Amino acid sequence: MNAPVIEIRNLRKEFLLSHSGAASVKTAVLWWKRQEVQKLHVLRGIDLDIARGESVAVLGRNGAGKSTLLSLLANVYKPTQGYCEVRGRVAPLLELGAGFHPDLTGLENILFNGIVLGLTRKEIEANVERIVEFSELRAQIDSPVRTYSSGMMARLGFAIAVHVDADVLIVDEVLAVGDYDFRRKCEARIQAFREAGGTIFFVSHTAQDILNVATRCLWLQHGEIVMDGEPLSVMEAYRAGSESDLGAER
Amino acid sequence: MLAELKELWRFRELLWSMVERELRIRYKNSFLGFFWSLLNPLITVLVITVVFKVYLRNGTPNFGAYVLAAYLPYMFLNASILDAAQTISGSTHLIKKVYFPREILPLTAIIANFIHFLLALGVFFLYLLAVYLLNPQESPFQITTLYLPLLLVVNLMLTAGLGLLFSALNTFYEDVKYILSVLLWLMIFLCPVMYFSENVYYPSENALHYTLYHMNPVAMLCMAYRKILLAPQDVVLGETTYPALPMDWALFGYTALFGLFILWMGYSVFNRLKWRFVERP
Repeated sequence: MNAPVIEIRNLRKEFLLSHSGAASVKTAVLWWKRQEVQKLHVLRGIDLDIARGESVAVLGRNGAGKSTLLSLLANVYKPTQGYCEVRGRVAPLLELGAGFHPDLTGLENILFNGIVLGLTRKEIEANVERIVEFSELRAQIDSPVRTYSSGMMARLGFAIAVHVDADVLIVDEVLAVGDYDFRRKCEARIQAFREAGGTIFFVSHTAQDILNVATRCLWLQHGEIVMDGEPLSVMEAYRAGSESDLGAER
Repeated sequence: MLAELKELWRFRELLWSMVERELRIRYKNSFLGFFWSLLNPLITVLVITVVFKVYLRNGTPNFGAYVLAAYLPYMFLNASILDAAQTISGSTHLIKKVYFPREILPLTAIIANFIHFLLALGVFFLYLLAVYLLNPQESPFQITTLYLPLLLVVNLMLTAGLGLLFSALNTFYEDVKYILSVLLWLMIFLCPVMYFSENVYYPSENALHYTLYHMNPVAMLCMAYRKILLAPQDVVLGETTYPALPMDWALFGYTALFGLFILWMGYSVFNRLKWRFVERP
């Protein structure tokens, strides 16, 4: 395989922890009263290559750094050290409908969200019909998004993300949306995306999703990759390693 | 900075559609819609004119137009900065989930306000036309109006620089917007909006005081808009009438350089801080 789609080298990310939530001039001016700033090491040196067409699931307990890793890939954070590079267009699904504005209609939001994801107006207009079709919201597409239910919002968000002709799909625990029929449709769409050579990087706590979609699985613990391999064996090791916590996490 | 500008250019389509969205949302749920932005300055000028003409017996002809010519750019600056300052902290849900150049958020607020300002200037010229039609003695339109684009560019540079600067600072210290709203409210009294810049000069004829006063780029801009859009106006102070002063292009040149500096500084500060917006403690 030629150059990897995702290349991560010695990736580290630290966050500053402050005990008072309020950011104000007072805390900046009263420097002698400033609390000790704690550093939270979320990722402690990740090395990873992902080839075109791979579908990688990330497992791990809460706070292991899964979402941070995805956010770094989506270019929302800058690494503290090291680098991560994604070649091609990324469609980040860190949260469905993150860019929706409640007062605009579904159609207006499709246009806006598509542009946020890096499409041109023309590309979106060519895809609008398929997005509306996929979301099954034809009757409500001209109503403001604030009148939508959360399920409808999720459907619209997913429909946009899978129709932006991305090379890499980055998904954070949002596969479990919608009703049964819509989930089946999403799975079929993801399958088609993979067959067309797309790469998927996702976080999930649902064993079924991982077995259905993933070709490779990572186990992340305390900001480090502890296991990387075939989904079934990684899942079994993970389950054995945290038997008691799994129930609570699901 | 060049790399950042390139990146911004790559996302220009996002900027335009954000501006479009901003304009659309602002009036989507109101009955009078777009007319609010035009009605607001007209009502303000009506009140100011009544106060000055009737209560304070100011005899300046066409006083409303002089107020409007300085009030509109002042309000553009005021609204842009206050709007821009809150854009980043108001969009954390968005910037935590998707990447795009963060400067697009404050720039959207500034450009949307700039479009309102241009429309309000259109209303200003209609106002002049109406005054002329009611009292057709001499045309209120000036040939120096041709300098308007130059003033707009300087005004935009200054506003964009301040907007970027304060939007970045307000993300970390929310006090910034409260301090700003007080300062911007006080500044209207230190700008020639409700009086003439000649009032600053006469009768002491203190050139230093006059220059220092106009070192404030906002005061200079208010003065410049008046000088190029409207006829020179003699000022009455007590019993004496003093002649109008000419437009001071040297001071304006200084203001243009100052605006450019503010823009550069504001953008630099913004770029230094922008990756910390999503992870502020």
